[in-house]
Amino acid sequence: MAEALPLEQVRVANFGWSWLGPVAGQTLAFMGAEVYKIESRARIDINRTIPPFAEGIADPDRSLQNHAAWAGNRSITLNLKKPEAQELARQFVTHCDVAMENFGPSVMDKLNIGYEKLRAVKPDIVLVSMPAAGLHGPLKGVRTYGMSLSSITGLDSLTGYTGGPPIPMEMAFPDPMGGMTGAMGALLALNYRDRTGKGQHVDYSQQEGVMQLVAPAFMDYAMNGRVAGPMSNRHPLGVAAPHGVFPCSGNDRWISIAVVTDEEWEGLLGAMGRPEWARAPEFAKTADRVANIDALHERLAAWTQGFDDHELAGRLQEQGVAAAPVADVADLMNDPHYRARGTFIEVTHHLGFKETIHGAYVKTSRSEVEVRPGPTIGQDNDHVFKEMMQIPEKRFRQLVEDQVIY
Amino acid sequence: MHDDALDGIRVIELGEGVSAPFCARLFSDYGAEVLKVEHPQSGDVTRRWGPFRGDRPHPEKSGLFFSLNTNKSSITLDPGRPEGREILLKLLARADILVENNSPQQMREWGLEYAALSEVNPDLVMISITPFGQTGPYADWKGYDLNAFHFSAAGHRYCGRPGEAPLEHGTFSAEYFGAYAATAWGLAAVYGRKIAGGGQQLDVSCSEVLGALFVGTENIGRYAQDGDFSSRGAMMSGGPSTIFPCKDGHVWMMALEPGQWDGLVEAMGKPDWAMVELFRDRLERVQNADLIEGKIMEWTLQHTKQEIMDLCQANACPSTAVYTVAEALEHPHVAAREFIVELEHPLMGRVRSLGPPIRLPESPGGPRTPAPLLGQHNENVYGTLLGMSDAELQKLRADEVI
Repeated sequence: MAEALPLEQVRVANFGWSWLGPVAGQTLAFMGAEVYKIESRARIDINRTIPPFAEGIADPDRSLQNHAAWAGNRSITLNLKKPEAQELARQFVTHCDVAMENFGPSVMDKLNIGYEKLRAVKPDIVLVSMPAAGLHGPLKGVRTYGMSLSSITGLDSLTGYTGGPPIPMEMAFPDPMGGMTGAMGALLALNYRDRTGKGQHVDYSQQEGVMQLVAPAFMDYAMNGRVAGPMSNRHPLGVAAPHGVFPCSGNDRWISIAVVTDEEWEGLLGAMGRPEWARAPEFAKTADRVANIDALHERLAAWTQGFDDHELAGRLQEQGVAAAPVADVADLMNDPHYRARGTFIEVTHHLGFKETIHGAYVKTSRSEVEVRPGPTIGQDNDHVFKEMMQIPEKRFRQLVEDQVIY
Repeated sequence: MHDDALDGIRVIELGEGVSAPFCARLFSDYGAEVLKVEHPQSGDVTRRWGPFRGDRPHPEKSGLFFSLNTNKSSITLDPGRPEGREILLKLLARADILVENNSPQQMREWGLEYAALSEVNPDLVMISITPFGQTGPYADWKGYDLNAFHFSAAGHRYCGRPGEAPLEHGTFSAEYFGAYAATAWGLAAVYGRKIAGGGQQLDVSCSEVLGALFVGTENIGRYAQDGDFSSRGAMMSGGPSTIFPCKDGHVWMMALEPGQWDGLVEAMGKPDWAMVELFRDRLERVQNADLIEGKIMEWTLQHTKQEIMDLCQANACPSTAVYTVAEALEHPHVAAREFIVELEHPLMGRVRSLGPPIRLPESPGGPRTPAPLLGQHNENVYGTLLGMSDAELQKLRADEVI
């Protein structure tokens, strides 16, 4: 018998959208929480329209990336433009411990499901808001996408080739990160609620979540007034060399090598067969290697480029050197390490097709985590509206017909 | 007395660098009592990484160490010595959480693997954060943030010019990302211990968390079904949606939907070239990316990043300034939210550091005390808490156990 999951008694109303909302939901769901996405056919979640689709059949219930993003979440439909739907949403929240959302700061209030309205019907509700730059402050209304939000945190100014312009991270890194952080916010507030009986309105500013990552450069600015720029793959504090990504044989194949200690440098020397250039005084100690890092990287690249990345990583590891292949998307599926860990698994969607999504992205020794692909639209309407909320069949049908439950 | 979300939760940290210390700092931000266990001679490696004021290295004056270790107590202890291990087990017997980022092999050598710890404390949640995880062929590989990041495919898929080296963010982003995952799952495991039937080990691989969530979500369904995948440089750009140079730096220009494009046209002062109905369609703009990006750049180069951001935002176009670290830190928004905290450190003086990532109005968290000196709390912990005599302490010191 599988043991109960830790969050089995926690129910969540997930008003979230985009990519952050679903990840917040899936994180709590992986650990056992009952998480309901609230969505509507009146404005189909854009994630549902993104190709590719299962078996190539375009349909809002078949978008592959949508099923990975919304894994673990269930779904009910409410057309929140309508007052009756807003009323049903408030009633639904009385059955929940937590509500989550990542709209702009005023949207929940406009929909009459803001914190005060929810608290009126469920006094100890935990509402987790996860807007771009928090619930208050001059930038609270800033318009961004997840991909560009990092521009206002300082992080983007550090990404790029040394001496060059900032290079964009071409995907919304703050979204999945913020989803995990938002889940953490819900759990913090539940701890507080269980001890004191009080709920609260948690404010997660995505900007402040990302700014934590900029701490190494922030501290240098705060202490020395220095403003860092793009730094390639170098050590963020410049205390290690070599520290970079080097070419290997094959198409677009690379290896990462990071040498932090003199002992590791000895290991690298051994692996290279102690070539004369590497024994020169300008590479003798860490400080020397850091001072001559460009020349060092050039020499090292000339050596790595003839090797297969996996083979070379194994060889360097034997010498105690931190080295690993630079994976591409195919490696995530095929590399023996990811396969052994079951990082991605094939699941059967309840509509009958097979698809591959990530499993529990943290492995748990006790809990047997269930992996469920994202929901079809409104798949849990019957359960929630008729059973949980006890809406009589006749009224339920009327609400569906009136496009309230829609 | 504080009234914090995690009052009463006890955390032992046996780790160094970024991942485990950041995870434990998040617990400490919200009121957990965190005891950091450091090696008697060297201490946490970030003590040697800096940055240091005036670039003068000193193990008690590292800025990164400070930012990752506020609110914590520090004791020194060598877990490789039998007496050290015994003491650690006593501390773990009364703890709720162990956060560690040693290699699985190292933990086995110390006799501190989960099976051994769960005998001492069945309710303990052990959070193990490593580059590659506790299982799989690379479990005992050595790895730093750079190796973990690039093994996730994040750089190969999303960052860098095609044909040139894939890029890391310019910080320890795999370790920070993994630490957020570790904290969320760790909190869940502790919160539901009674329901779940006890504690457990959480195996957090920084490369796997990033590879699964950040890269896998968009790419794996497609690769598994259709057998093809993309690499960096595949972003449709002409929207626009990329970074442009401007008069004093860079801006992230973003206009995808028709209304956003209209806003950008308005912000640019409705130039003739942009008044083409066809261009309201994003795909048309992507087709004509060279023309459109060239024209937009002519405009951005004449304005500052803040002017561009203000003009665009006022017109419902979601473009933003690429702030330098200084601009982000000194921004009026950051000041209004009191995100920067200032703490007094016995050797560093006043230090500015970042506040907590999440605000809980009923139980505000955040850094309250500066990062500890190496072994600052030895007397407290060994003497007062564990009741050791002065003579016992002397002997442990002489034997370099603590």
